[in-house]
Amino acid sequence: MMRTRPTLSAILFVLFLHVASQGSAQTTTQTASSSFWAFQPVVDTPPPAVNDREWPQTDLDRFVLAKLEERELRPSPRADKRTLLRRVTFDLVGVPPTPEEVASFLDDDSPDAFAKVIDRLLASARYGERWGRHWLDVARYADSNGLDENAAYANAWRYRNYVILALGADRPYDEFVTEQLAGDLLPRTDDDRVTNERLIATGFLALGPKFLAEKDPQKMEMDIIDEQIDTVGRTFMGLTLGCARCHDHKFDPILTEDYYGLAGIFKSTRTMEHFIKFARWYENPLQTEANRAAKEKYDRKLAEFEAKIAAIIAKANGELTKGGKPLPQIPEVSYSKETRAELRKVQDARNKLRDSSSLTTALGATERDVVDVQVHKGGSHLRLGKKVPRRFPLVLSGDGQTPFEKAESGRMRLAQWLTSGSHPLTARVMANRLWRWHFGCGLVRSTDNFGKLGERPSNQALLDWLACRFVESGWSLKAMHRLILLSATYQMSDLYDPRAADVDPDNRLHWRANVRRLEAEAIRDSLLAVSGLLDTTMGESLLKIENRKHVFHINTNDETSYESYLRSVYLPVVRNHLYDVFSLFDYTDASVINGDRPTTTIAPQALFLMNSKLMGEVARELATRILRGFSVSSAVVSIEDDHVRDLYLTAYGREPTLEEVDDAARLLRSFDDELMNTTSDAQERRQQAWQLFCQIIVAANEFVYVR
Amino acid sequence: MFDTPSHTSTRREVLRSSALGFGQVALAAMLHQDSAEATGVLGERRPHFAPRAKRVIFLFMLGGPSHLDTFDYKPQLQRDHGKPLPFPKIRIKFDGTGNLLRSPWEFRRYGKSELLVSELFPHVARHIDDLCIIRSMHGTNVAHGAAILKLHTGSDTFVRPSMGSWILHGLGTENQNLPGFITICPTLGYGGVKNWSSAFLPASLQGTPLGHTGIPAPDATVRYLENKRVPRSVQRLQLDALHRVNQKHLGSGTASAELKGRIESFELAFRMQTEMPEVQSIAGETTATKKLYGLDDSVTADFGHQCLLARRFAESGVRFIQVTHSSKPTWDQHYGIREGHADNSRAVDKPIAGLLADLKSRGLLDETLVIWGGEFGRTPTVQGGYGKRAGRDHNPGGFTIWMAGGGVKGGIAYGATDEYGYYAIEDKVHLHDVHATVLHLLGLDHERLTYRYAGRRFRLTDVHGEVVDRIFA
Repeated sequence: MMRTRPTLSAILFVLFLHVASQGSAQTTTQTASSSFWAFQPVVDTPPPAVNDREWPQTDLDRFVLAKLEERELRPSPRADKRTLLRRVTFDLVGVPPTPEEVASFLDDDSPDAFAKVIDRLLASARYGERWGRHWLDVARYADSNGLDENAAYANAWRYRNYVILALGADRPYDEFVTEQLAGDLLPRTDDDRVTNERLIATGFLALGPKFLAEKDPQKMEMDIIDEQIDTVGRTFMGLTLGCARCHDHKFDPILTEDYYGLAGIFKSTRTMEHFIKFARWYENPLQTEANRAAKEKYDRKLAEFEAKIAAIIAKANGELTKGGKPLPQIPEVSYSKETRAELRKVQDARNKLRDSSSLTTALGATERDVVDVQVHKGGSHLRLGKKVPRRFPLVLSGDGQTPFEKAESGRMRLAQWLTSGSHPLTARVMANRLWRWHFGCGLVRSTDNFGKLGERPSNQALLDWLACRFVESGWSLKAMHRLILLSATYQMSDLYDPRAADVDPDNRLHWRANVRRLEAEAIRDSLLAVSGLLDTTMGESLLKIENRKHVFHINTNDETSYESYLRSVYLPVVRNHLYDVFSLFDYTDASVINGDRPTTTIAPQALFLMNSKLMGEVARELATRILRGFSVSSAVVSIEDDHVRDLYLTAYGREPTLEEVDDAARLLRSFDDELMNTTSDAQERRQQAWQLFCQIIVAANEFVYVR
Repeated sequence: MFDTPSHTSTRREVLRSSALGFGQVALAAMLHQDSAEATGVLGERRPHFAPRAKRVIFLFMLGGPSHLDTFDYKPQLQRDHGKPLPFPKIRIKFDGTGNLLRSPWEFRRYGKSELLVSELFPHVARHIDDLCIIRSMHGTNVAHGAAILKLHTGSDTFVRPSMGSWILHGLGTENQNLPGFITICPTLGYGGVKNWSSAFLPASLQGTPLGHTGIPAPDATVRYLENKRVPRSVQRLQLDALHRVNQKHLGSGTASAELKGRIESFELAFRMQTEMPEVQSIAGETTATKKLYGLDDSVTADFGHQCLLARRFAESGVRFIQVTHSSKPTWDQHYGIREGHADNSRAVDKPIAGLLADLKSRGLLDETLVIWGGEFGRTPTVQGGYGKRAGRDHNPGGFTIWMAGGGVKGGIAYGATDEYGYYAIEDKVHLHDVHATVLHLLGLDHERLTYRYAGRRFRLTDVHGEVVDRIFA
């Protein structure tokens, strides 16, 4: 695979060699618990032998077929071309294929017709939006803090767009991970765009929900660190490290000391300016012309304030440590009332300067004083135990780890450790996520938990084989898409087989394609797409509120507007008060990582499709579009029938059956009869009847379920 | 017993996720496929043991009402007005406070139980022999957001399902045409929807909000319930046509259970369009009933309407109903408690008393657990000086909630705070214990009501919670 940015890869490779030579990437320590599959190195097993030589199109299929043959099952036949095109189009770009795209695929008889479709879709800007949104689910992306003080993250959209563009550009996953954990620590380049991307990427660490009004600054700090450890653990490794905050993990071989070894990395990383209510999160200034112009003046003034603050702190700390008393962990809380007031005054002035400056900033991380953390007994910062040097969990890295550099938080080393290629979890977890997002169900169904309480892989040889191909491709997501989509496994139909259903009711072995409901965003985007309302420009922030201001408070309303025709990924994600259309259709909670959205069927979804303003608008636009007529040719005789055909092609990517055409005609007549009472104008009645009919077509199962 | 994996791909889960709460769908459609399995799922909705209550009405007083000025009389506080608190204050304070502040209100004895209630709640006080006053409440957090989340979800650290969702998970709902968990005019602040969200439980278990703070109770509705563009008769035609289109699309096998479920959901939605407005309409209530709830007085009309809706929902089989009092300035009187608490109590006292009387006369009180309380209480020490601006700070260390009906003893006070009402000291009841107790009254064992998510079992009470069985009737 071509690397998009060889410079960074080269740097990472050198760093990797450095880490590998320290022997920390590969564990040599064997504890009883580490025999668990997920902690074992990935094994590149050759594809197994199969009886049916005809069916497999790729090596991947042999892994699937071998399992089916073990149970004497047969894969279902290949799906027809229309079904396949609809499936892959939703999968890769999240909107239905246009009638033209359908026609062109049907007309293409070449053997690589499907491969060409895949390439076209992967090259589309819509791809980054679709798959970027998947990543945002695990990054618990949101445009507001949520929790107690729902302050606006007005710069979070920069991280969102970074993700969309990075995936669109097929940024190698190892680089993608490194940028998000330690982008600020990568060597500076002269290219502002690259530098900014890396700074923005670290927003990943800063996006979590925080109790900003927590009165106990130490609790707040440890809660924020906990959120970061939990997110990093589950996102990249599928490990619930958070459990080890209070006690050794009850099920996985993760010790409390492992937890506090990692906590040191995040405590040495600044994502907050301070923890005193109302706490203030940190933002990295970006490299822009305007920023540079303002910077000199700003820096000077800022330095003055910082010096004043430092002087006050030094004096106050001096008083606290008089007589050799130890300095408390967070000394600020012990200062005299006057000192705190004075400090707050200068800090406020400094913060005001920061706010008033026209600097463009982005939520993110930077380094701060490097510290190791003491074990918090029972998770309480009031009962401190042994200090643990920063390190990786023993079960994954052994006890012979090279100590962390004294001058670095260790985030870069964390990234290198995760992306070395020999970490047993990184590639497996991501390969499994890709599988989940393509098939609706992971090989390990608990996508965010590969620990003992997670599920075992249904096909570990396949998962490991995919993980190896992933690393081998230079961590290319697009290479993985091609690998999966070109397989016979992906191209099966959903044909039901009672015997297979008996043996494997959950289709864990992939004897047929899963029928899946579209996610919230794909439903809205598809409604807008077929009605011609969709605006495909890239969005910035649609949040109508200043950074750090409350989105709403107890007695105020949320003024966020979702009246936009941009793709759903660009709509604001307000924690605690998500766009109701999204929450209706099983959107993520946006506060915790979620790599496996559920699908529930509830009546309010039907109410939305029956009664909402958006559906009314979609039906009206779709009807207008259909009645205007955009079909080129037709085998059907009457004009009305022609329109029915257009509607089916637009919404379902297929021709209606004769029965459906007849049904439509009858239905339109009965609408017309019913509307006679209220609408005298025949043209107007026709438009209304078509609206009612269009609404049915896009509310139907065939529109929101993919076969 | 209620464990469910976190993904939703098996039919068992499809059944489960669609068979509960708001929008129970498709059971009929699915039953014929595997009646044994479906019955099993329904069977699991039985409580763990015989319930004392069938449903809950939670009257949430946002901001933290003062226990010292309502249900927890402290003679020593009255005597030591102006003196310093003779013991240390809590380590983490919300804000600084001064010396002791006596209650400006008189307390009087009521009922056979002769329990003391202040002048702020004269109407509720008449029901004193039905109230179980827990005076030894304590929580963990001193800030509104965290304390409110703790009260509603059991956690001030993580995103967790709310109490109402857990209860629906355990019991399901009695009326399939209505949501099983309704929250009337909730606040969007301080955690907002998190306070009625199902988090990782199935979405059908989430609370359904009727409006929110600032929307007059009579105007509060469920989203998308109304369609002013399409007449009902035309919509009926549409749904019939939709039904045909969907039937044609149905395949066979496991996926079709979900598809059939979706077909049913449209029918349910259509029925709900009729039933919900009927339950919400109070046109059929007598003048006497309306008066009982204070609908004839602008001060009490709005909260009275909420309380009346609560009774109507309770009658219609809704499992968990929350009523929130959060109109300005809420109960959060750091300053000017005299005026603030008087205004607040005037708005809620009569409606709450009306609700209790009405439930009782309809024979619903015995099977309905009514809970009154805020996220914390207030300090006996003063904020804002001793003048008109005198107020009290947040106090999670000791406060009062009360329960009525639903299998609790009436006319008792349980537990106690210290002589000034700062800390709970006797028979302490934590918020976790309230959760355990409420579940128990509904026939659910808080240690057995679990859900499997992200690799482990979760419960409302986490690793805490003790059932306070001494308050059971």
